[in-house]
Amino acid sequence: MGKYIIGRIIQIIITFFIVMSIIFLLFRIIPSDPSSFLLTPSMTAEAKETIRKQFGLDEPIAVQYFIYLKNFVHGNFGTSFYSGRPVMSIIMERMLNSILLITTAVIIAYIIGVSIGKAIAWKRGSKTEKFFVILGLWFYTTFTPWLGIMFLWIFSFKLKLFPLGGMITPEKWILDPSLMEKICDMGYHLILPLVTYVLLWFGGYMLLMRNSMLETLKEDYIVTARAKGLKEKVIKNKHAARNAMLPIVTAFAISVSFSIGGAVLIETIFSWPGIGRTIVEATLRQDYPLVQGAFAVITLVVLLANFVADIAYAYLDPRISY
Amino acid sequence: MDTVLEIKNLGMSYDTTEGSVSAVDNVSFRIMNGEAMGLVGESGCGKTSLGMCIMKLLPENAKITNGEIIFDGEDIVPKTEDEMRMIRWKGVSMIFQAAMNALNPVYKVGDQIIEAIVAHENIKKEEAREKVRELYKLVGLSPERMENYPHEYSGGMRQRAIIAMALACDPKFIIADEPTTALDVIVQDEIIDEIKNIQKKLNMIMMYISHDISVIAETCDKIGVMYAGNFIEYADTFALFDNPLHPYTKALMSSFPSIEGPKKELKPVPGEPPNLLNPPRGCRFYPRCSYAEEICRNERPEFIESESGHFLACHRVI
Amino acid sequence: MKKIENKKASQIRQIWALVRKSTFIKLGVSIMILFGIMAVFSPIWIHINPEVYDPIIGADPNVHGSVGPSLQHPLGTDDIGKDLFSQLLRGSQVAFMLGMMVSVFSTIIGAAIGLIAGYYGKIWDTLLMRLADIILTLPRLPLLIVISGIFGTQSNWIILLILSLTFWPIISRVIRAQTLSLRERPFIESARVSGVGNTRIIVKHLAPNVLPIAFYYLTVTVTGAILVEAGLSFLGFGDPSNMSWGMMLQWCFVKGYVFKAPYWMIPPGLCISLLAFSFYLIGVGLEEMVNPRLKKR
Ligand SMILES: Nc1ncnc2c1ncn2[C@@H]1O[C@H](COP(=O)(O)OP(=O)(O)OP(=O)(O)O)[C@@H](O)[C@H]1O
Ligand code: SF4
Ligand SMILES: [Mg+2]
Repeated sequence: MGKYIIGRIIQIIITFFIVMSIIFLLFRIIPSDPSSFLLTPSMTAEAKETIRKQFGLDEPIAVQYFIYLKNFVHGNFGTSFYSGRPVMSIIMERMLNSILLITTAVIIAYIIGVSIGKAIAWKRGSKTEKFFVILGLWFYTTFTPWLGIMFLWIFSFKLKLFPLGGMITPEKWILDPSLMEKICDMGYHLILPLVTYVLLWFGGYMLLMRNSMLETLKEDYIVTARAKGLKEKVIKNKHAARNAMLPIVTAFAISVSFSIGGAVLIETIFSWPGIGRTIVEATLRQDYPLVQGAFAVITLVVLLANFVADIAYAYLDPRISY
Repeated sequence: MDTVLEIKNLGMSYDTTEGSVSAVDNVSFRIMNGEAMGLVGESGCGKTSLGMCIMKLLPENAKITNGEIIFDGEDIVPKTEDEMRMIRWKGVSMIFQAAMNALNPVYKVGDQIIEAIVAHENIKKEEAREKVRELYKLVGLSPERMENYPHEYSGGMRQRAIIAMALACDPKFIIADEPTTALDVIVQDEIIDEIKNIQKKLNMIMMYISHDISVIAETCDKIGVMYAGNFIEYADTFALFDNPLHPYTKALMSSFPSIEGPKKELKPVPGEPPNLLNPPRGCRFYPRCSYAEEICRNERPEFIESESGHFLACHRVI
Repeated sequence: MKKIENKKASQIRQIWALVRKSTFIKLGVSIMILFGIMAVFSPIWIHINPEVYDPIIGADPNVHGSVGPSLQHPLGTDDIGKDLFSQLLRGSQVAFMLGMMVSVFSTIIGAAIGLIAGYYGKIWDTLLMRLADIILTLPRLPLLIVISGIFGTQSNWIILLILSLTFWPIISRVIRAQTLSLRERPFIESARVSGVGNTRIIVKHLAPNVLPIAFYYLTVTVTGAILVEAGLSFLGFGDPSNMSWGMMLQWCFVKGYVFKAPYWMIPPGLCISLLAFSFYLIGVGLEEMVNPRLKKR
């Protein structure tokens, strides 16, 4: 097991390294002036000089590459053109906001999706099954920003039940409220993006679980379980679902990479100050250090999610011993 | 002797996109207390389907179309799933054909057997564990193996564990569906002996399904021969070997020179068995039968007792 | 030979019977036909009055600011008097073309890579499948955003290229698995030994096994491509020389009309979602037919 984990970690490092190298090349090769990604005209001559030094822009490209890697290893992604703050601190802050939204949403979507998927697989061929498959599919393929806008329009604009976006109500926070009030305020802002997210994502898990469950129900050991005279509930939950969950664990990791894509759109619609929105804004503002840093961190998170899923799979499936 | 299992006119079919597959048709026989009955027939003739009928473990596209399955004095055909739950494993249990996958890969083998006992018997887990320990010894497995997962067993061990599992609730009746197909010859012999001994020792009734008539001759008191979903002959092992009456059984016997002879795949008669989607109208063996007459083509032969205890479905012999 | 042909014919008939029974496929195809009609109708509608109805350069000079539906503009106009209905029709063309092309390209790339990996094995297999893994784990939308940012201006061709380059890994895995299992069969072995027409044999025997699965991934890929392209356009990284549904929604959003003009906001998003939905429905319907393990117990 230990050997396997080390192997996986090395793999992750290599993958990350490759991705970062590609990004490096793209940023240096495609723009006409390779330094334009770090220097803006509005900078003072002094500032330009510092950055030139820091990133070794006057050095040959190979040396630049090593400096780039060294900076990465030290967590130094440079300074944001737009705000002038260190990229790392912006990313840390935004990442936390994203994690709050995404993790909550993914966990809820997962629980709902898996439970429904389990139930409808058992009711194979029924109207209920068709209904849920079509419903889940519809939301799964609904255009994310559109669903967000519709919800904002209906629930915030027309019914005035929820805020129009953002993560907090600044007027309230200026007055330095109690922790409880802060949490409530955040929760209040969280609900609508969260619901959007969950609706968009539960269908994917539901279909996966249903298919996996249907395949499992075909296995001989399910016949054995029935032959043993076990109760339906035991067969469904203990024998079928436990096995059907295995592939879903892997899918969970893949879905993290997709849900970050979703986060880009949802955060944009709901003005949620997360990493997804950051990367969009930074790209539009040509704030290249921030783009680079944000992308690196997103990639790292996705790779880590895959790693965790692999470990979880190994833990759940006794047949796998590394 | 009491009749434990009596099957009358049983018919079962599968619904498929191409039509209805008549996999069991017009099957009647009875098994007495303490008897082991063998069931032979070519692949695809409906042996497993018949076994599954008795456990009422049919897939969704299958249904029992007619007949009765009287087990322990009660017809189980109309019983609900809940009522069947009580009968399964305690009344009838089964050693499955595909032993490789009959155990759930994510649970320890011992626990899977304990689970069956606890589901039926009102005893504590620890007592059940003790019982499984005994069963393991009975089938020739070391009790420490209970703590292993199925993938940690060899094929032969897995098969033994499945036998132990089938015995877990002291069933009255056990169906062994080709319990040795996946194994090599030596292990096969061991396991067949094991089954035979246990059956006699525990005095269960058994239905032993196999392609291999020589195995059945060694193991069973009676033999039923199936062809394309039909029972065509049913008699005492000795009677059947001495005096096979049905043309198909005769061909079957002649392809096995002696009981102790080499085991071969069952393919005694030239030609293919009929398509069960659309079986011949009269005798299902008609297209391959060298004794066939005009009547065989149009009229289904009845399955009747031609001599005492010797049942048969053929126009010619009567 | 005759017998084989008959068998094939009956297989096709069987598949057709299954297709006709599948609620999912029927629903999906119906929606798709609707959009097909829209795409075909697009030039006809523009032809009525190109100066007003052309989705790129046309505008209604008599309209000031966005107005709601009227006889002349069935869906109303945007803030500078462009006809929304004609934009919607054009969007359906773009979505269809892009979705189809991405899925065809990525299927071709995926098939080629899967064949190479499965057939030549060894180092090729390891390298290509690791590459597939890496691409699969990359967060697609952020990647596309970053690349768009680097390229500066965006064209549908670049979007097409990048989408195709990120969508192939799943297909290549399927093809590879099938190739591997085929490679073990004796006739391939003998063909390999005699060295004649390996590739032809593989393709010939592979096609019937892989086509249904490939078709399933094709439909799912179309869904993904449509949604990702719309997402990119919505974020402002679309091809400005054309009109797509994602862009319609983007304009509505950035010009601040989302709550004021539902006639502008609702149709493009609904269309994106419905078209993506229809392809996925067909995919799920196909999967039910292709994967025997999903059939009824
Ligand atoms: N789930 C099913 N759906 C449709 N047809 C089936 C199904 N299961 C079995 N059959 C058909 O029913 C017939 C009898 O099958 P069965 O498995 O009972 O044969 P068998 O005698 O046990 O064969 P074998 O010796 O190979 O195990 C076969 O023709 C088979 O094709
Ligand atoms: S009934 Fe006729 S066809 Fe059938 S086995 Fe007897 S002789 Fe042969
Ligand atoms: Mg069988």
